[in-house]
Amino acid sequence: MSLELLDLHGWEISQKIKETKISEEEVFSFFKERIQKLDKHINSFVEIYSNPVRESKESSLCGVPIAIKDNICIRGKRITCASQILNSHNAVYDATVIRALKDKGLSIIGTTNMDEFAFGSSTENSCYGPTRNPWNLECVPGGSSGGSAAAVAARLVPFALGSDTGGSIRQPASFCGVVGFKPTYGRVSRFGLIAFGSSLDQIGPITTNFVDCAHLLNIICGFDEYDSTTSKKNVPDFTKSLIDNIRGLRIGLPREYFGEGLDSEVEKAVRETAELLEKEGAKIVEIALPHTQYAVATYYIIAPSEASSNLERFDGIKYGMCKKNEDLLSLYKNTRKEGFGREAKRRILIGTYSLSSGYYEAYYIRASKVRTLIKKDFEDAFLSVDAILTPTSPVPAFKLGEKVDDPLSMYLSDIYTISANLAGICAVSFPCGFTKTNLPIGAQLIGRPFDEETLIRIGFTFQQRTDYHKRIPPLVGG
Amino acid sequence: MEYEIVIGLEVHVQLATESKIFCSCPTDFESSPNTNICPICCGYPGVLPVLNRKALELAVRVACVLNCRVNKRIYFERKNYFYPDLPKNYQISQYELPLGEEGFLVLPSSKKIRIKRIHLEEDAGKLIHKEKYSLVDFNRAGIPLLEIVTHPDISSPEEAFSYLNYLKMTIQYIGVSSCDMEKGFLRCDANISVKKKGSESLGTKVELKNMNSFRGVKNALSYEAQRQINCLKNKKNIFQETRLWDEIKQKTFIMRTKEEAHDYRYFPEPDLGDFIVDDILIESQKEYIVELPVAKRERFIKMYGLSDKEVDILISDLSLANFFEEANKQLFQPKSIANWILGPFLELVNSLEGGMDKVELSPYNFSKIVQYFLEGKLNNLAAKKLLALSIRNNKPIDEIIEEEGLSQVSKEDELIAFVEESLKENQRAVNDYLGGKQQAVMFIVGQVMKKTRGKANPKVVRELIERKLKQKE
Repeated sequence: MSLELLDLHGWEISQKIKETKISEEEVFSFFKERIQKLDKHINSFVEIYSNPVRESKESSLCGVPIAIKDNICIRGKRITCASQILNSHNAVYDATVIRALKDKGLSIIGTTNMDEFAFGSSTENSCYGPTRNPWNLECVPGGSSGGSAAAVAARLVPFALGSDTGGSIRQPASFCGVVGFKPTYGRVSRFGLIAFGSSLDQIGPITTNFVDCAHLLNIICGFDEYDSTTSKKNVPDFTKSLIDNIRGLRIGLPREYFGEGLDSEVEKAVRETAELLEKEGAKIVEIALPHTQYAVATYYIIAPSEASSNLERFDGIKYGMCKKNEDLLSLYKNTRKEGFGREAKRRILIGTYSLSSGYYEAYYIRASKVRTLIKKDFEDAFLSVDAILTPTSPVPAFKLGEKVDDPLSMYLSDIYTISANLAGICAVSFPCGFTKTNLPIGAQLIGRPFDEETLIRIGFTFQQRTDYHKRIPPLVGG
Repeated sequence: MEYEIVIGLEVHVQLATESKIFCSCPTDFESSPNTNICPICCGYPGVLPVLNRKALELAVRVACVLNCRVNKRIYFERKNYFYPDLPKNYQISQYELPLGEEGFLVLPSSKKIRIKRIHLEEDAGKLIHKEKYSLVDFNRAGIPLLEIVTHPDISSPEEAFSYLNYLKMTIQYIGVSSCDMEKGFLRCDANISVKKKGSESLGTKVELKNMNSFRGVKNALSYEAQRQINCLKNKKNIFQETRLWDEIKQKTFIMRTKEEAHDYRYFPEPDLGDFIVDDILIESQKEYIVELPVAKRERFIKMYGLSDKEVDILISDLSLANFFEEANKQLFQPKSIANWILGPFLELVNSLEGGMDKVELSPYNFSKIVQYFLEGKLNNLAAKKLLALSIRNNKPIDEIIEEEGLSQVSKEDELIAFVEESLKENQRAVNDYLGGKQQAVMFIVGQVMKKTRGKANPKVVRELIERKLKQKE
């Protein structure tokens, strides 16, 4: 039975538990032992709990282990955002999504590595050291939810939660060959997620397949009275969208996403994906998203601006690291100097600068206006298509250290994912092929606001015809 | 050379909500330190604010009463600065699009003070400084505040004082805040400049902080106006700066110059969406707007023939003004009712912890006491005693009079024996009177009052004594 667990969906595991073919304890020990055995090579976990954090025994996913990115609060557990500045901090309350997981009986198995405060695209900016890609330990897993994506890809855990501000769920999902879903802004409560860019952040599931993805979305989506930005829109049963039929759906290929800088193997895999979907009855149309070229610049004003303010609370006074000093200013300076890593400092500086008087209009206000135009691009596009298909990342997983000293090139690895955050719409990355060197390639589907269902339907249909999502990295037993 | 003073005031009022503006903690900041706090108002990692609707409603009420243009769509912004009493190191406030703009308050002098803007924000915590360290109390953090900023329309410290009083009363009247400055429910900063009389251009403005009472504001402004006038006279420069008022030395001292001013890096608060202030909300708040202090003042003077001074005290507290009107409805004796309220009644109220809120005596029973006094059923002393006995319980007046035997004795046949006794015992006073010292009669009256334990009607006693003595002449 144990070996078989590797090939089972999280959903299937929960069925086995229900049918009492395997106990929850056995499932938990199986994955815990796998983590203990294999994660020394990958470093995807920050903390592994000796006993599962769980409460209720109800619901469809009871007893299935889940890993949580280290920026989502679990009451009584250490939470650090992979930063020195928080490293002694225990969460004093449950994030709303954690509350939901506990209510539905999932077993929280531990927390996963990330770029400090979610600043990065490679999970190299972590105070716990980098996470490695289970498909090739020389490569990065992507970021910032690299720990969650790598852990799911290596089958160290069936489910994980990540957070996505500019691609932080989707880009690592594509690098690791798993399904990473960023729901529509307002679909999932951010209460208890340590904020990076408040107008962009969304929590989402990372799984190997769309069935598990739909089940997890059912649990974490919905209005929350503790988050004013959540929507009161009705949440559908996403498992009802697990339909093997996409006949008549119109899928757009934005020409701006297939231009310069796109790796040829990635392009080929995404175009083949389009062909497969066309064969299944979808109508493929070329579309334009004319303001795409401004997305990265816009994002790197808005996200750091919000981050610079969100990170002000880490000052050494109330929690986390405190470098006591003679006077208040030195306390602030020394705490933040030692507590924050290089990338965090860089973003705080960029954000502080663009909000400063005299620059605010030229940067933040202007970026906000461009953001509206990017949103409008999508509104226009969705008049003629039901979903948009693009590469998730212009390149497959790159080597560790390759882009550490070149922040601009690092920032550009999110070029295809950032727009969905700026527009606040839903998007998902799923495995659509492999490179000659056996690195996963991810395709991205972007949907209308609050139309996660269409994306699930297309993704599910694709996975019925392909086996990319079933492949397990050879290094971890595949 | 004559000078003109130009003053603008910035007032912060704590709104009377039960819970804080962005979380459900109680607003009682006088509890022991850090007891009314939660992860949200302490800015723990991951928390989000949710607006307290009641705070918005009260703010809209004030915007209406101050005749502001209410913006239909409002949003909050973050004001970023590092200070240990500010949990998130930013304050959620309003900046570009405040709740209300361009209103006014008319003073009794009929001077119109224009209101520039009104906005909602959260309060910070409190620092307690010890010799070698400082402590933070976050009880106050997140309490809803309303900031009310005037145009520079105020032209004297006295006018500033009047504005503050009428602003306070107006806000109290509509039930939005107690505005108690000593307790910190109302805080006031001032901007002041001086210029040569008739000059078009404004002088350099100085910001004043740290005033703890309305009188403090007035004194600080007077001091600062004089300081600036002296600078002009002596051809010295006035610098744009912030100065602190020292209540003990009665002087202002420099706190920071313009160069040290903060860059607050305001930007829209992404954790809160837009809020629509629609007509339904506005109309629902207008219903709380009662007759306002300035109008009430005018009406009381006209209707009741009371002096300005008497009316000023009566209207200073809405419940006092209402008490007066209710009591007068029973008796139609405004002058006497006012006298009894402003005298013995207020003296008692002021000695109660909690003031008017703790008064149980109904205006009806109060009017009865005054009525009995006017009819001679109670003498002054007995009426005061009765007032003291009933102020906290509202027991039927007649019952107390019975129990305490307070009723005044006016019947001559019940008093004659006491009078004769007193005349016998005080032969010297009798002789003085007979010798032409008219006032000696009062001494004998006093003796009769003593014998009757204050119950005798002094007027009747005096008449009896004088009659008796006349017989002797």
